[in-house]
Amino acid sequence: MMRKLLLGFFAAAFAIHAAAQSANDPKVYKIGAILAMSGQASWYGTVMSQGIKQAVEEINAKGGVNGIPLEAIIEDHKSGNAQEGVSAMNRLLSIHGAKIVLTSFTAPTMAIAPLADQNQVLLLNGGGVSNNLVGASKYIFHIRSLAADLGRAAAQHAQSMGAKRMAVLHWKNDAGDNIVQAVKPVWEKAGGTIVAVEAVPQGSTNIDTQVAKVRAANPDIVALWMFAPEVGIAVKRLREFGMKQPIIGVEYTANDAKIAGTLGEGYLFVNDFFQASAEFPWSQQFAQGYEKRYNAKPEFYAANYYEGVYVVAELLKRARAQGGDYVNGEAMKKALYANPKFDSVYGGQMQFQPNGVAFKRVGLFKVEDAQNKFQKYIEVR
Amino acid sequence: MDLVLQLLVNGLVNGSHYALLGLSFGLIFGTTRITHFAYGPLYALSAYACWWASAKLGLPLAAAAAFGIGAGAVAGVLCYVLLYRPFERAGSPPLVILIASLGLLILLENAIGIVFGTDTKVVAAPPAGIFVLGPAVFTSVQLAQVGALAAIALALWLFLSRTRFGRAVLAQTDNPEMATIVGIDTQRMSLLVFALGSAIAAVPACLVLVKDGATAHMGFVAVFMGFVAVVVGGIGSLRGAVAGGYALGLVESLGLWKIPSEWQSTIAFVVLFLVLLFRPQGLFSGRQ
Amino acid sequence: MDYVFHILVMVALFAILATSFNLLIGFAGLFALSHAAFYGIGAYTTAIIALKFGLPFPVPLLVGLAVTAAAGMLIALPALRISGDYLVIVSLALQVIVIAIMLNWTALTGGTDGIRNIPRVQLFGASLDTAPKFLPLAVAAAALCYWVSWRVGASPFGRALKAMRENEVAAQAVGKNVVAMKLAVFGVAAALASVAGSLYAQYVTFISADTFTLELTIYVLAMVILGGTGNLAGSLVGAAILVVLPELLKFVDLPPDIADKARQMFYGALLIVMLRLRPQGLLPESASAHHLHAPPERPRVDTPVAAAALEGRGLEKRFGGIVAVQRLDLAIEPGRITGLIGPNGAGKTTAFNLLTGFLEPDAGDVLYRGRSLRGRKPHRIVRLGIARSFQDLKLFTRLTVLENVLIALPRQRGDHLAAVYLAPWAVAREERANLARAMAVLEFVGLAARAAEPATGLSYAEEKLLSVARLLATDAEVLLFDEPLSGLAPSTLREIQPIFRRLAASGRTIAVIEHNLDVIRELCDVAIFLDEGRKLAEDTPERLMQDPVLAERYFK
Repeated sequence: MMRKLLLGFFAAAFAIHAAAQSANDPKVYKIGAILAMSGQASWYGTVMSQGIKQAVEEINAKGGVNGIPLEAIIEDHKSGNAQEGVSAMNRLLSIHGAKIVLTSFTAPTMAIAPLADQNQVLLLNGGGVSNNLVGASKYIFHIRSLAADLGRAAAQHAQSMGAKRMAVLHWKNDAGDNIVQAVKPVWEKAGGTIVAVEAVPQGSTNIDTQVAKVRAANPDIVALWMFAPEVGIAVKRLREFGMKQPIIGVEYTANDAKIAGTLGEGYLFVNDFFQASAEFPWSQQFAQGYEKRYNAKPEFYAANYYEGVYVVAELLKRARAQGGDYVNGEAMKKALYANPKFDSVYGGQMQFQPNGVAFKRVGLFKVEDAQNKFQKYIEVR
Repeated sequence: MDLVLQLLVNGLVNGSHYALLGLSFGLIFGTTRITHFAYGPLYALSAYACWWASAKLGLPLAAAAAFGIGAGAVAGVLCYVLLYRPFERAGSPPLVILIASLGLLILLENAIGIVFGTDTKVVAAPPAGIFVLGPAVFTSVQLAQVGALAAIALALWLFLSRTRFGRAVLAQTDNPEMATIVGIDTQRMSLLVFALGSAIAAVPACLVLVKDGATAHMGFVAVFMGFVAVVVGGIGSLRGAVAGGYALGLVESLGLWKIPSEWQSTIAFVVLFLVLLFRPQGLFSGRQ
Repeated sequence: MDYVFHILVMVALFAILATSFNLLIGFAGLFALSHAAFYGIGAYTTAIIALKFGLPFPVPLLVGLAVTAAAGMLIALPALRISGDYLVIVSLALQVIVIAIMLNWTALTGGTDGIRNIPRVQLFGASLDTAPKFLPLAVAAAALCYWVSWRVGASPFGRALKAMRENEVAAQAVGKNVVAMKLAVFGVAAALASVAGSLYAQYVTFISADTFTLELTIYVLAMVILGGTGNLAGSLVGAAILVVLPELLKFVDLPPDIADKARQMFYGALLIVMLRLRPQGLLPESASAHHLHAPPERPRVDTPVAAAALEGRGLEKRFGGIVAVQRLDLAIEPGRITGLIGPNGAGKTTAFNLLTGFLEPDAGDVLYRGRSLRGRKPHRIVRLGIARSFQDLKLFTRLTVLENVLIALPRQRGDHLAAVYLAPWAVAREERANLARAMAVLEFVGLAARAAEPATGLSYAEEKLLSVARLLATDAEVLLFDEPLSGLAPSTLREIQPIFRRLAASGRTIAVIEHNLDVIRELCDVAIFLDEGRKLAEDTPERLMQDPVLAERYFK
């Protein structure tokens, strides 16, 4: 067993490495993905990989891209471990010869950025939301709005509601800290005060102490600068502590909704606009396909990585049209900036900005009757 | 001042939770001296069993919890019989058993993720009742956490002090060598404490399922806190484990009164550090 | 084939972590779960020095090393007082605190963002920016670190560490400064771990706190235990297996949604199976073959000395409300054997503990050669020439008979790490002389034939002999024996008694606690009768035993 594995290890490594350098058109387009496939946050890995799988299968069913099939190679960073990310990236590079990698989580993405630069690998991030990720690599692009931008938008809406005293519960990680820093000047400039800022370690379920301090600060709005599944827990606990104030955040996944249950009613959040209705046929098609395939509600993160694969497919078409060796970060980056507009599963088109972040429409949603009801578009200033 | 009262209530509630963890982990660890890391996934498994009985079998919550407790006890016994006993028979040093336990932790955590999926599991329960006590608020689930500790601690105390087997367990936790000399059947006793300890551990697990939902990795924090409670209280003392749990809960909660919450875990551990510096044998152990 | 090189780099880094961790838990028996913190402190210090000051390799590494060694010694401070499970918690506390500082001291550590763009190592004009280029440095560092660890392990210092692991009190009783030893071993282990951290930071060029968590320590712990505690080569094997195994498992084809969890399940199961097959680890701690190198000459053991009287004056000791010893005056004269007798609980062992510094008297003083011993630590008192044995022997059971004696030999240069590295030849030369001395001691008590065997395998009588041998090896002039003869068969007694006689005849000061009155009568020149913590009488054994009041007290 062990010997066979070892043989496979080396044989596969050398053979494929050699093959990857042959012609401009590969036999198959390999798309690597480094996700949280195990560990504490493996829910993210599950939904992201499901989105990728759905997109790859849909595209291949229609004959692939440029007549060439896509192949997704899912790797694991064990829920945000930088070192695991580097190992995974090395595997993708050496064994699979992948030149396109979908990435997630800040630490592993930061850690693989130098390797992406050295090897001209296109990185597409649909999960990590830290400011730091912008420009981490020459070839990194982001297809979700930055946490700080969403936070500012949420704060602006809170102001328009007349709120003055904001209490904050935030993830003690880069994404949470980024929003805290971004919102503070916006909020205070408009005359508001921030009455409490309480940190919650990612993956902690017991947040009663933080909730008690938020309650004692007597805010007129509570902001949740955090992500699944803590959003659901926080909403639930805030309500159970008898707090009636509006709660606003930057995300509300199906997982969160399940945890909060009926206590989630009235929760407000600002996020990339998504509505699976007839008005947005691709959104609807994705949502129906996802539900049929996985027997679960479509998740925001699944949509992002689903979309990511389609962006890659489109880029491959455009880059190929440029001629020459095109399956690499440099050529694909050039093709992307030649025309930064792409169809979005969120409806309409998104446009990549010079900093590599796709500009998407941001909407305000409210939880009503266990549905995320779209309220209005919000301009992120 | 209102905040202090609320933090005190929270501290007592969380303290009860930690005390249950300390009690169950301490029962196993104190008696067998097995560093039972796999306590973590067994704890999660109990919560998942409760969820499964409630969501898939449609049992009422109390029955589902009983199912979870039973499943926990069975899993605990299997764990001892299939994993630890063979190691003990081979005369493995405690550290080797510790790493084997860690292997089981990795195995089970991932198995739970595969079998049940990675999303958070919640049970359909009526919304928790909310009680207001002056400026402090608590829910019926939190009340249940405190009540569970009281009931279990009392029942355990009766069992340990009134039955022959219970007294044997106490003798063993107090002095493992002594029990062997006196001729107590240590294997039967190990079976018993694994069943009992795992069943007790299932109670806080089910309560957390109702309170916050269950995830495959929920057990890591649980075994960690249980272990810490046992050591703070003094190894070999179940009373100490309960006291250690409360100390932990109260420090974690009240400590945040004036200190920013990003230091929460740090406060608890700085206190621990100081306690052990001045009372190396643990807070409540009489032994030097 | 960068992937394979990358894996080898990781093996090298983890080999450093595992071997240094083994020094702590395998050799010194210090179960401190803070190794990831040391690794992290090394990485962060390196990153900060390299980025903020732009200093070239190896300056950031060396600064990291110094800072981490200091942090290691800081953790050692509470470890001086506590051990076992409590040290686990104290070290966990430090681990948590270190992570919290990394996350919250944003100005220095970048907070939750971590530190990026850490400069690469520049060596011989080349930037080590790929795995193949970095590997030689990583391997060289691992080899150097292994050598450092190996020198520790193979030195008299390493032997003393193992003695401390087996029994801390006994290590003190043979003159080892366990405080200094713990500080040193924590410092060395932390410094080595920082080397791995420093290399990691400059290899990946990005660090954040979540790399240096408890999980990493547990991972390294698994390497040490799988490889075999107390065996450094085992740690290398353990590191290689646990780094490469998960990578090999990646080649098992599985459906992607469960693949990585299934692989980890398999990993957990394999870990269990490997431990089941090799319960002591893959490479268990091996007994040394010291005895083979002993030179043939044997120095004399009972060389004549001019010892002095050991005096206790007005000694008092209370435990809570119980008075163990009160107003105790006693003088143990040289050149003869003094017996201490009295009923159980009379305070005989407490008296020994007070005389040898294991207990601090509440009042009174201990004098030797006109010098007060008050406030001196046991190991210092041993060096002044006063040593004692224990009723429960406290042998270093997992070490060989010879090692038990070797450890006790006084004034070993090899007990000091500085000498181990700076004067290796002198240490080796001294070690050869010490082997001869240790063998001589073993021959003196008649245990030479068992020299190479572990102490666990000895009979009861042989254990007693070994404890006597260990006491002799300290070269002390004043020897206090706590029940050295109890429980021995009469024939054995007759064999052992002459040893004490010869020692007394050589001018040494000998005291013996004994219950058997026949033994006292045969062996002792003078006996002191203690009861309820006081000296009731002192006389020849014959006359003491004729005193009806004492006899009644003794047999009550």
